[in-house]
Amino acid sequence: MEKKNFEILAMDYLSGKLSKADREGFELFLSENEAYRNQWEAVQTAWNNLDTLETPEPSAKMDERFFDMLHMETSKNETAKQPKFWSRPFHMTRLQLAFGMILLMIGLGLGYFLNNSGANVGQKVVSSDTEEVRQKLVLTLLGQPSANQRLEGVSEANKFSGVDEQVVNALLLTLNHDDNVNVRLAAIESLANYADHAIVRQGLVQSIPNQESPIVQVTLANLMLVLQEKKSVEPFKRLLKEKKLDTLVKKKIEHTIESII
Amino acid sequence: MEALTDNALMLKVRSGDIDKLGLLYERHKRNLFGFFYNMSRDPHNSEDMVQTVFIRILKYKHTFTGTGSFGAWMYKMARNVYYDHFKKLSRNGTKQELSQMHLKDVDVESPEELLYVEETQYQLNTALSRLSPKKREVLLLCKYRGLKFSEVGEVLGCSEGAAKVKAHRALQELRIIFFELEKR
Repeated sequence: MEKKNFEILAMDYLSGKLSKADREGFELFLSENEAYRNQWEAVQTAWNNLDTLETPEPSAKMDERFFDMLHMETSKNETAKQPKFWSRPFHMTRLQLAFGMILLMIGLGLGYFLNNSGANVGQKVVSSDTEEVRQKLVLTLLGQPSANQRLEGVSEANKFSGVDEQVVNALLLTLNHDDNVNVRLAAIESLANYADHAIVRQGLVQSIPNQESPIVQVTLANLMLVLQEKKSVEPFKRLLKEKKLDTLVKKKIEHTIESII
Repeated sequence: MEALTDNALMLKVRSGDIDKLGLLYERHKRNLFGFFYNMSRDPHNSEDMVQTVFIRILKYKHTFTGTGSFGAWMYKMARNVYYDHFKKLSRNGTKQELSQMHLKDVDVESPEELLYVEETQYQLNTALSRLSPKKREVLLLCKYRGLKFSEVGEVLGCSEGAAKVKAHRALQELRIIFFELEKR
């Protein structure tokens, strides 16, 4: 075997990428070649030593600086999107300005005669009213005895443009206490939309020990894996100690913990 | 849930949804800090470098196409940040010194065991710091940061096979240094 091929195979072996047959072939090769075996043992020891490498936790100041920077960038972005209102009149010709003024006067006149001055305010009120009505609807539907209605409540919750704390709390309550598995699964899907909020992630992590349904446990494990949520490792470890835990779920959770760590 | 993968989030950042960078930061800050810390043994500068990486991610967000992995793209940037940082230090004539060991609380049963664990970790850190930065980074990327060799190749700008050969040779050298330290 060429030295380079040996090195590539050795690294595949160490990172667990070799098939069973290739692994056995490699082990047979090592048993027949002492020089390579010695080299392999040294490399394997060094690889295992790297497991003991420790890193301190970064300070809270690092988070503070990052989120300050992100906040600044977000506000800059929003300001850049707004048109520069005051700069426009200075680039207009006199004719354009006069035309604009006439249009403004006509608009004001029409507005006065049609007595429709409260329209904009009304629109805003309607929009905030809609959110309020939707919030009440979600809370009412989630409290209904029929599972279909509760599912409807969860799907209504998906229509919110931002995070509504009361709705998030209601969804977490549903996830922890609803009798119906489908409703609990729908609640997870809905909460996943707000996963960039710490309160939602914390609620999802706290709900892990409350779940007994295998499909809900697997869905939560998948979500935690995608979110790479390290705080979920402890609750999952506690869940692994449950005697009743389904074997497939157990494997899935073990895999999730390994991937998150 | 597809919408929450690293690549999907980064594509959202690229299209202007900058807030999503917060989730990527939460997900990768420890690993990134660990990479810089194990490269430099300097916690303060490591935090600065994590910040610089995320500033660059925002600045160069348009270059993320989503075809490769976000991890490889980010570590490529992290690597450049690391080398730029130390180039600047050497230009200014500042000598980088190893900081004190910052060991986490280790779960041990006796003072002798604690002493042994501390000794081993000290030797490992010393051995790592004696490797050249190029060799150190390949080991940190493939073993400690858990990137696939294809991704390590992408970060280092070489093939997957070449990344494996580099890692193997770095391990050999690490073992020799470790062995010498043990003899003392």
